Amino acid sequence: MLKTPQEYVDGVLAGDRLLLARTITLIESALPAHQELARNIVEMLLPHTGKANRIGITGVPGAGKSTFIESFGSMLTEQGHRVAVLAVDPSSSRSGGSILGDKTRMARLAVDRQAFIRPSPSGGSLGGVARRTRESMLVCEAAGFDVIIIETVGVGQSETTVASMVDFFLVLMIAGGGDELQGIKKGVLEMADAIVINKADGDNRLRAELARKEYSNALHMLMPASANWTPPVLTCSALEESGIEEIWQRIGEHHRIMSECGEMAEKRATQALDWLSFLLDDGLRRWFQTTAEVVAHLPRLQEEVAAGKTTPTAAAATLLATLHGRDG
Amino acid sequence: MAQHPQHQQWLKLTEKQMKGRPTSELEWLTPEGIRIKPLYTAEDLEGLESVNTLPGLAPYLRGPMATMYTGRPWTIRQYAGFSTARESNDFYKKALAAGQKGLSVAFDLATHRGYDSDHPRVYGDIGKAGVAIDSVEDMKILFEGIPLNEMSVSMTMNGAVIPILAGYIVAAEEQGVDLAQLSGTIQNDILKEYLTRNTYIYPPGPSMRIVSDIMAYCSQHMPKYNTISISGYHMMEAGANSVLQTAFTMADGVEYVRAALKSGLDIDAFAPRLSFFFGIGMNFFMDIAMLRAARFLWHRLMQQFSPKDPRSSMLRTHCQTSGWSLTEQDPYNNIIRTTLEAMTAVLGGTQSLHTNSFDEAIGLPTDFSARIARNTQIIIQEESEVCHVIDPLGGSYYLESLTASIVNEAQKIIDEVEEMGGMAKAIESGMPKLRIEESATRKQARVDQGLDVIVGVNKYRLADEKIDFEIREVPASVRDEQIARIATIKASRDNAAVEKALTELTVAATGNGNLLAAALTAIRARATIGEVSTAMEQVFGRYVASSRCVAGAYSSEYREENTVIAAIRERANRFLELQGRRPRLLVTKMGQDGHDRGFKVVASAFADLGFDVDISPMFQTPEEVAKMAIENDVHVVGVSSLVAGHKTLIPALIEELKRAGGGEIIVVAGGIIPPGDYEALFQAGVQAVFGPGTPIPDSAARTLSLLEAKYLS
Repeated sequence: MLKTPQEYVDGVLAGDRLLLARTITLIESALPAHQELARNIVEMLLPHTGKANRIGITGVPGAGKSTFIESFGSMLTEQGHRVAVLAVDPSSSRSGGSILGDKTRMARLAVDRQAFIRPSPSGGSLGGVARRTRESMLVCEAAGFDVIIIETVGVGQSETTVASMVDFFLVLMIAGGGDELQGIKKGVLEMADAIVINKADGDNRLRAELARKEYSNALHMLMPASANWTPPVLTCSALEESGIEEIWQRIGEHHRIMSECGEMAEKRATQALDWLSFLLDDGLRRWFQTTAEVVAHLPRLQEEVAAGKTTPTAAAATLLATLHGRDG
Repeated sequence: MAQHPQHQQWLKLTEKQMKGRPTSELEWLTPEGIRIKPLYTAEDLEGLESVNTLPGLAPYLRGPMATMYTGRPWTIRQYAGFSTARESNDFYKKALAAGQKGLSVAFDLATHRGYDSDHPRVYGDIGKAGVAIDSVEDMKILFEGIPLNEMSVSMTMNGAVIPILAGYIVAAEEQGVDLAQLSGTIQNDILKEYLTRNTYIYPPGPSMRIVSDIMAYCSQHMPKYNTISISGYHMMEAGANSVLQTAFTMADGVEYVRAALKSGLDIDAFAPRLSFFFGIGMNFFMDIAMLRAARFLWHRLMQQFSPKDPRSSMLRTHCQTSGWSLTEQDPYNNIIRTTLEAMTAVLGGTQSLHTNSFDEAIGLPTDFSARIARNTQIIIQEESEVCHVIDPLGGSYYLESLTASIVNEAQKIIDEVEEMGGMAKAIESGMPKLRIEESATRKQARVDQGLDVIVGVNKYRLADEKIDFEIREVPASVRDEQIARIATIKASRDNAAVEKALTELTVAATGNGNLLAAALTAIRARATIGEVSTAMEQVFGRYVASSRCVAGAYSSEYREENTVIAAIRERANRFLELQGRRPRLLVTKMGQDGHDRGFKVVASAFADLGFDVDISPMFQTPEEVAKMAIENDVHVVGVSSLVAGHKTLIPALIEELKRAGGGEIIVVAGGIIPPGDYEALFQAGVQAVFGPGTPIPDSAARTLSLLEAKYLS
């Protein structure tokens, strides 16, 4: 049932929703044949990518990420933008299955012809999520989507992963009971290009404003990542759809400033190099773990290290030494 | 008083009969988390605050009235409505002639959601789950020959409450009836719609205002009318156990009281007109105790508002036997189930009762099945001689102890809700919905394992099922009839007057005007139900709920690593190995059917079994579902249908999938689908139909077989 790479490429470029979806499935597939086909397609599509505004969104559970994307994305499509949303949902470690409920929280955007939403199960490794999301983003760009929104799982290292593939990293927060900075890692604040306090509505408006001030103060203590951009702290209500427009303006401003000063191109180049280095590490590790010598000796060495019969350093040296003989 | 003097003797005998097995094996932990002992004695009643009270007196545990059924039995109030107003009117008149005492109107889903019958989103829903009402003209036909000054009318309406209540009032006016004489109930319980069933229109804030506006208007003009029926029924149907049903219903009630007080009403002006609605399931003693516990709790909860009128703290309730407990398999068993549940409601002291028809897991009640259902109550009332004594089980060691346990357990949850800032806040957080869904998912797992027995479904199943009775169908022509009548009304009315009234309603919605008063003018001028709803929607917006789904609850109810589950996971893993991804399923609902229990339980359980499960928003059109299926690139779309939209909507979905290039996506269907419709669905391209009672592992295995045949062979 597979088609030729050219057929997928033509379909994606023509904005065919079905073939775009199928291409992402190939990218996400665990089968080597699918992956190779996907690699070819992405390679052929690469000249058509790079024109979109890439936005990453993270936030603590309950911050209202999906509702925010619903309001934000709908505003963008009304303005004539074409919006793609890539969302990763956690897979159960027990059954391997997952519940992909993003569209129920984005009911309006889900039926919008100007939008494409693709929820994906996190499946195996974080590296896998990173690769798939990055390539899916490129394919959506080639299909003519000019704003790509990537929603993170909100756990572990996924923030870093997403931040390393987008132009603008938005951290969504809500006003808590006072200790606003408790729930958030310093590292996440350092990556943020903007912090948005959501749910600034009703009784909550005042608390959201207080939280905004607290975050502004906290950000002042940090060294900004760029000399040209000070991350703003904003408030919004995704429910009442207020403050959303300003966030988009700031993202536009960021894009303009960073493009003019050359940082945008630099950032994307750095991201590409980081990506290359990640792929090399990942590929080497996988190759290493499947070589005959390693397969033969690793389990025994692991046991010995665990039993204290040999040191980790010595075991690693032994294994790596077996490889030196290969190909000279 | 201490232990019974012969208790040790009894214990010895018991141990002997247990032949070495521990006596703790005789205990039963209910789904509510209450541990039931094999024997209760006077000792269990010691210190219980709820024992030895009198009916008609606070705390009303034994009944709100001093005489209860000894004075007058409960009201037989059968919920009915289908097709056109004319057909429903005929059905009502026949039922009243045959011994029914009050009316209870079921509206179709289009009406619930504030759409006229000519709206494109509702073409599969007209006249299906209730009667189609588009204007006051339909309302007048509905009550033709039924004097509204004498007949108490209950209306199950929560979304489009304003235009429907206005329609009823104007129909009464035009019958020449004085509003002060109107008696009956409007359900008007919007909070539970956000928890289950989902037949709301507007967001919670404006919806709560509507509730208060109705209370304000009726407290002035309709003193005999119950302005709300605070409903636990739908929670039970969605899977809530009896403690959850009690707790969340009480908490909803408190929230309404606060809203009414906030709008400036005096507690005694509206609280006596609050009524309740409980669902009665198959756990006989549990639900008798539940009704008693609810009366006790309501009295206790109301004291914080310092009412002066005793009626303000009295819980009066309607009950309905459980629809969920009805089976499609061996359906005459449903008559017995309904009889037991009816006895539960009666022994619990309900004020009115609906008994379900035995064929309701298959289709709409027919004249025959409705007669059996009605006679079930008449026979209890007039033949069984149970009405001679008030609260006849009062003082039973077990029942009193169980009543106290429900009071305690429910109070804990009510306290939890209060800590969150009340029910509206709790609903916003998603807590009650997740608790109910978790309870439902666990129930499903117990049924699928045969731990909870359902005769004819997971035990004593018939080898050969044959339906030997008539099934009522609503013809598609109902929609055409409704549309024609809308056109006639629009052609004959004073359109300028309608425009003006609708604009004034929108203005009232923007400001503080009473919405019911404003809507009455529009309805009198022959504005349609849809037009009145839209006039308010312009200000309030239309609400779309987001769904969350519990994870892991299904498989955790399985005692040990169950081989059935393991085998299915194995097959899902094999699919992943060979296809590069897990079997991916989109579960969806189309049309205005908001019953999301089945669909949530299926999503949660399939994910537990190793599928990747996409969930669509509710109220989708076939075209919208097709878009989602294509984008998410799913292997299978599973359509859940509970209210008869399947015959039009599922074939339309298959067409839309083909049109979008997704013709190879497998479509399966589940829910309440009459066996007679299976063939038509297969013809349309549906590959499997899972009727009510299908164990989830079965439907998962059959879905996998379809996938394996298509992709792995």
